Amino acid sequence: MPAFAARRQSLSSDPTYETRVAITPRKSRLRSDSDAAIGSPLRKSPRLCKEGGPNSSPKIDVIRKCLKSSLNLSGSPQEKRLYENFVERQTWDPREETQLRAVNEALHVSTAPTNVVCRENEQNRILDFCKKCVKEEKAGSLYVCGCPGTGKTLSMKKVQVMLVDWANKEGVQPPDILSINCTSLANMSEIFSKILGQNHSGKNSSRSTSSLQQLHNLYSQQQPGMKMILVIADELDYLITKDRAVLHDLFMLTTMPFSRCILLGVANAIDLADRFIPKLQSLNCKPMVITFCAYSKDQIINILQERLRALPYTVFQPQALELCARKVAAASGDMRKALAVCRSAIEMLIGDSVLSSLDETQDQQKPAANGTMSNQVRIDHVAAALSKVYKSPVVDIIISLPQHQQIILCSAVKLFRGGKKDTTLGELNKYYVDVCKSTSIPPVGILELSSMCRVLDDQGILKLGQSREDKLRRVTLKVDGADIVFALQGIRFFRNCLQ
Amino acid sequence: MGVENLAELAKLIIRSRIADPSFVFSFFSQLPDSNYSKLKYIISSSVTEACNNSVLLLGPRGCGKTAVLELVLEDLLKEHPDMISVVKLNGLLHSDNNCALKEIARQVCLEHQLQFSKMASFDENTQFLLSILRECGLAHKTIVFVLEEFDLFTEGKQRLLYSLLDALQSVSSQAVVVGVSCRLDADQLLEKRVRSRFSHRKLLFLPSSSEDFQRLVEHILLLPMDSRLPNDFRAAFNEKLLNILADEEFKGVIDQLCYSDSTVSQLLRFLFCAVCHMDLSSGSLSIENFKSALPSIQRQPKLEALKDCSVLELYLLVCMKRLEVKELESCNFNSIMKEYKSIHDSFKTSDYYARNVCLRAFEHLLQRGLISFQDNRGQGQSAEFRPVKLLISWHELQQGLKSHRSCPAILNKLMDREG
Repeated sequence: MPAFAARRQSLSSDPTYETRVAITPRKSRLRSDSDAAIGSPLRKSPRLCKEGGPNSSPKIDVIRKCLKSSLNLSGSPQEKRLYENFVERQTWDPREETQLRAVNEALHVSTAPTNVVCRENEQNRILDFCKKCVKEEKAGSLYVCGCPGTGKTLSMKKVQVMLVDWANKEGVQPPDILSINCTSLANMSEIFSKILGQNHSGKNSSRSTSSLQQLHNLYSQQQPGMKMILVIADELDYLITKDRAVLHDLFMLTTMPFSRCILLGVANAIDLADRFIPKLQSLNCKPMVITFCAYSKDQIINILQERLRALPYTVFQPQALELCARKVAAASGDMRKALAVCRSAIEMLIGDSVLSSLDETQDQQKPAANGTMSNQVRIDHVAAALSKVYKSPVVDIIISLPQHQQIILCSAVKLFRGGKKDTTLGELNKYYVDVCKSTSIPPVGILELSSMCRVLDDQGILKLGQSREDKLRRVTLKVDGADIVFALQGIRFFRNCLQ
Repeated sequence: MGVENLAELAKLIIRSRIADPSFVFSFFSQLPDSNYSKLKYIISSSVTEACNNSVLLLGPRGCGKTAVLELVLEDLLKEHPDMISVVKLNGLLHSDNNCALKEIARQVCLEHQLQFSKMASFDENTQFLLSILRECGLAHKTIVFVLEEFDLFTEGKQRLLYSLLDALQSVSSQAVVVGVSCRLDADQLLEKRVRSRFSHRKLLFLPSSSEDFQRLVEHILLLPMDSRLPNDFRAAFNEKLLNILADEEFKGVIDQLCYSDSTVSQLLRFLFCAVCHMDLSSGSLSIENFKSALPSIQRQPKLEALKDCSVLELYLLVCMKRLEVKELESCNFNSIMKEYKSIHDSFKTSDYYARNVCLRAFEHLLQRGLISFQDNRGQGQSAEFRPVKLLISWHELQQGLKSHRSCPAILNKLMDREG
């Protein structure tokens, strides 16, 4: 088992593993330990699997790839190399547990990738800024912004580690690092006591002056030999209060004459610095802004391939990956979504193969060649996974509503066709009764109608207002009328009704 | 044992089955592609593969979301004992961040027999949560967070959701977050960064098709093999029941039931009612039981009130309706009397009563709840001068008049003419 952990460490040349040394190898050791205890087949990662089986050892594979790429030095287009990299690997069997587990792990959001690709530029910029501050022993502030899922927190962790490495290498005193997520603060001014606590452990005895005051005092005097402190504040917009005092004070800390604080703020809003800290601009010390743009299609493909590179078999057909990347990049550029779609597509594949194996057992004449048919994730799997993630369930829900509730929605659509946006329950009742009369379905009374509208309000399809009288409650549609028409078009009565 | 005793026993067995949600929803666990199997796969794969997951269960009230979740958790606890621990939160009680963290700490302490202190601060509770997640991750125990009324957690700053879903993003924790909500757009209510951390798995609980409904009814009502009833009684009961279920009339009754509400809980209420109507002397269910159960589920209280009205009261109601049609929304007793007189004059009806008799009838209508005062002002005035409004709709009045046993034809004609 120690060899296991050591091997894993040697494989990863990435310094991020150093910080996680306490956590990750212990976990993998425990996993195999507990498995041995339970008696299930030994779950080694296929990366380190030495027995034959369907997968060859990764070392041989790597050598093969290197040979292949060295032989292909004659300017073959990128795409061809892409396809070749896919083709020459083995196919996998989704029904085998170890392989499935490895793939899922490689694609899980919580697995930090060994190499962080596509963000080198931004990381280098942040790192240079920090290096400058540490070398000159000056304070500074930086603001990192970007949509969710663009790799901000991941990059910050990497920068932390790289900075400490660099400081050790250069022989400069590495700064203290304080990494806080602002959602975990009970009240806003706690952030100052946290900064203080880091600086002077145990010197927060004087309660008469607040932590902010103490920091002010500390930073207004020359203190030789005091360590720099790097503060990484995640989800900075939780600190925004009505008078924006806390955010202000935080950034002002870095402008004090003898401040030792390097502040890196992370948030989603691009103009946080402009909107909420205008005073800094007047003092001419606006924080530097680094924007993490949403991932483009190529970047997403790159990142996914990087994650799957460690596996010795092809999981996805190249077109499937491209479809996923295109759709996610067009929608939001959020990497977490792309990973979720990939895992969902793998589940579709498993569902397919389970069904096909059921068919096989039922139909003995079919040869078992279906196993090799295509165990790769195809475009239709990815398309189904994408529709599950991006499609709203409204149409399905409306189709499965009971009849009277569908009639209510139909009458609401007719009512709102004239451009009205909301109406009262009494008006809706009138239209509802008319629609019922036209098909000789007995309409329900107003009490029952009101309770059905409340059920629809619970589900988020209608919105029911409050009023003293039941008949005067305001009703608005929260679902697009076109969706309702589309959902109900299968039934002839509604089709005619909504002409 | 006499037939009556056996029938009583059968009734008891069936009623206890209907009242047991895990029995009812175990039917769905046998279907291959049901929500039960999908949910079980998601949670069990998180347990065995030690990966984090989040899923949202959506569907109208009473369609069985919590019941299926309980069933899945029960089965998984049997399969993997000591590897799962469950923390349950409810949006109605714990939507505030502090409250929720305290409750999580309390439940975890209870489960692991640690000491819980009510005085723990917010910070300490957060630290406790993070360390528990870390410890459970190392020990391979999965924590399942069940958030009922998920849409109520999305009000305010969504800090609890953010911290829970953020904890799922780290390698050291092993947890599953299951949200249960009746709002279909619950995931649209999440903030962008919380939505990005949520894994977009949604399980929709749609009402099942009519064949599934039929099979569910069979599953519940057919007497099992291992009951204490003698075999021949059971066989006869089941055979009669199957005949009823195949009948067209029964299908019509079920359709009627599903027109207004097609959730499982409605069906269970209906079946309970039908079984309670079972005639013990005959020893089995009949189609009449189901037919008589339907109106007690789909009650129309106003029509029932109308059935007991006297003819004079019907006249008063029709007069009020005519006044309403003439754009006089609010009327009082005097205007009703004027209208009553005009009807008598134009149609020469035989029912003409004195004013004080009519006043009695008017007060009776007030008590029955078919009409009421417009507002609470003028409590000092007598009932004759205060404005009143109708609490019954046109159509209900028409229906009630038609089904009234001694409604005069003139009233029907008056209603039809206007309607």
